[in-house]
Amino acid sequence: MASPLLELRNITKRFPGVLANDSVSLKLNKGEIVALLGENGAGKSTLMNVVYGLLSPDGGEVFVDGEPVELKSPRQAIDLGIGMVHQHFMLIEPLTVTENIVLGNEPTTAGVIDIRKARADVVEISERYGLAVDPDAKIIDLPVGAQQRVEILKALYRGARILILDEPTAVLTPQEVKELFGVVRQLVTEGLAVVLITHKLEEVMASSDRVVVMRDGKVVGETKPSDTDMSGLARMMVGREVVFRIEKKPTVCGDTVLNVRNLKVLDDRHLEAVKGMTFDICAGEIVAIAGVSGNGQTQLIEALTGLRKVEEGTISFLGNDITHSSARQTIDAGVSHVPEDRHRRGLVLEFDLAENMILGDHRKPPFTKRGIMDPQAIAQITEERVEEYDVRSPSIRIAAANLSGGNQQKLVLAREVGRNPELLVAAQPTRGLDVGAIEFVHSRILAERDSGKGVLLVSLELEEVQSLADRILVVFEGRIVKEFAAGQASDEELGYFMTGGGGTKLTENSDTEGGESNDA
Amino acid sequence: MLSDIITPDLFAAAVRIATPLALAAIGGTICERSGIVNIALEGMMLVGAFAGVVGALATGSAWFGVLCAILAGALLALIHAFASINLRTDQVVSGTAINILALGLTGFFMEVIYGHPGTTDSAPRLMPVFNISGPTEGVLGTIWTWINGVFLSFTPIVYIAIFIAIFGQWALFHTRWGLRLRALGEHPRAADTVGISVVRGRYSAVLMSGALGGLAGANLTLEQVGSFTEDMTNGRGFIALAANIFGRWTPGGSYLASLLFGFADALQIKLQLFRDVIKIPSQFFLMLPYVLTVVVLAGVVGRAVAPAAVGKPYEKG
Repeated sequence: MASPLLELRNITKRFPGVLANDSVSLKLNKGEIVALLGENGAGKSTLMNVVYGLLSPDGGEVFVDGEPVELKSPRQAIDLGIGMVHQHFMLIEPLTVTENIVLGNEPTTAGVIDIRKARADVVEISERYGLAVDPDAKIIDLPVGAQQRVEILKALYRGARILILDEPTAVLTPQEVKELFGVVRQLVTEGLAVVLITHKLEEVMASSDRVVVMRDGKVVGETKPSDTDMSGLARMMVGREVVFRIEKKPTVCGDTVLNVRNLKVLDDRHLEAVKGMTFDICAGEIVAIAGVSGNGQTQLIEALTGLRKVEEGTISFLGNDITHSSARQTIDAGVSHVPEDRHRRGLVLEFDLAENMILGDHRKPPFTKRGIMDPQAIAQITEERVEEYDVRSPSIRIAAANLSGGNQQKLVLAREVGRNPELLVAAQPTRGLDVGAIEFVHSRILAERDSGKGVLLVSLELEEVQSLADRILVVFEGRIVKEFAAGQASDEELGYFMTGGGGTKLTENSDTEGGESNDA
Repeated sequence: MLSDIITPDLFAAAVRIATPLALAAIGGTICERSGIVNIALEGMMLVGAFAGVVGALATGSAWFGVLCAILAGALLALIHAFASINLRTDQVVSGTAINILALGLTGFFMEVIYGHPGTTDSAPRLMPVFNISGPTEGVLGTIWTWINGVFLSFTPIVYIAIFIAIFGQWALFHTRWGLRLRALGEHPRAADTVGISVVRGRYSAVLMSGALGGLAGANLTLEQVGSFTEDMTNGRGFIALAANIFGRWTPGGSYLASLLFGFADALQIKLQLFRDVIKIPSQFFLMLPYVLTVVVLAGVVGRAVAPAAVGKPYEKG
């Protein structure tokens, strides 16, 4: 039998205090899609960064075509035919698609870039693999799906035979996910081999030929999708049984908590991002905003939480007008906010757990009396909440930066929910979290709803929207284009409206046949 | 009176004054495009100015002085590169330290080499490139005076600066070097993942900015003044930084912005000659270039977008 395209033997990689890869071995053959499945922190990305020459291993060997190779830099990996699409795209926003694709391998004569040849090459491979992109567009103007195609083209342009996709579907709509897997399937029939790094079980089941499961830096099992099912995979990945379906009691809709009327908000470029949204949230209800990233969700949340100026319209909360309230007034009124970017907005990473726990309440008793902080009261409440929210940390005196993503998010949740708000605004509360942590966050959000609080959930994950929401508002280009009650819409229907299928006007009929987009 | 102010002289002075600003500003452009803030241009210019005089006085060759100036600027930049790329120091702190260091170094070596503080002896200077005599009379004479004054009256580094601005503008957007430089300042990790060495790219950019800063200094001492005086750069490095921003991080834009500052300065010098007629205290004219800097930096000219990764140390892995 021919030697595998790529083989890893006993790869070991240590970081200070962590064994990220513990003697990991893996084989990849020509023409197959191997899913590398594991929770966050299981060591999947570390392993692939070793293969791509971004990290050097502390032990073990890499073979390409049966030959031992040493990978000291991405350059060497590229030369061996290894390409990687990173979870956070490695694209340079102000540059064009063509410039991004050829960067590092530019066709030049005496140092001058032959831009016409570069463009022709890009058009050629983009047509050959059916990956449509505009070679002259700037990255900043492209939707994420197109950006991902650029990333794949980048690897193909460099002659990749082995393609590593790191969490490729995190930012895609269901339709884009389908398209992506179609493209990947075509690539392997042309003789490439693909490694798909993921923590999403459905993707593994739907698209891979073979699954390698990692946990705590080790390979804990290998199987074929046909030989297992989702719960089997989940058990291997987490090491215990996982509950998928969330048990949800029917809503008991109480008084109106939030009332938003004809809200208009500008973005940083002074363009209208929220173009007149109207909706209500009542006590004991989870309302989810579903939409592709960049359709006004960020600006909507910022307006609701006092972080961004409202241009037009009103926001009233429990009957009080908070349209022009500051963030501080909004918090004091009883609105809590789990921000979409926990690093930038949710936490001060350099602060310890206790300091992070009181942010926003730091000037109120019992944390502060007459302007002086009370360290004992702060420590006591932090300990209680860390316990209650299962934030795993050796001490409340270590910096939040040292926690894993899941524990950081639990810390944010502990602060925001612990404040006992009347409305919880949760933006992408499970972004980048693994199954175990997602389960926990979801159960806390449901608990808020069951205790009669209003919840506004903004999520790009349809699965999350579908399983948590009592009501789903689909947004497209700053407008609410469709409303569904829980369980009324399929993922495909949601995806259809999320991508503008229903036009930009709110239609009353619930069928999926949208009219022409008439942007009045 | 207007015809006494608007003379070929005024425009020639504007170009001369703009030259050191433009060279340093283009240095700043290259450096910041690679992702490294360089507020040490002032110090690099000062050290270049001094080294230029030392080299020229020691050998009697002004061109040897220019070489010394370029090397000295690059050498100082090496410290900045090491501090900000290898040690990942805060680049503003490193730049400030280098500015202070430059002031101390030049003062110290002044004493060591020449035995006194203040100003050096006159060094050999670079002379104007062209010396063509044309008609002096009539309309032709006037036209010739303008052409000669505004375009043909300059010393070599003035023309070198114009060349660097035009060539640099082209190179930034049409060569491999330019594309990679822009990539480094926007998203160094992306550059790294396609096999471009961030360390090497940034080092060469910082060294280039140092060399350009040194050349700017050489222009000051070996073409304009003819000797070195302590702290003679007098904030030009910072005005150059403003010119770089005003020029939107492009070599051509940096040159044009410097020209605007140069013109403001030339105009204020000219206006001082007329203080008996205009009756505005000359201090107001002196303020002109600095007020312009503040206005530009305050963003009146519209917001310029800096390279996304500028000022952020890059850590591999």
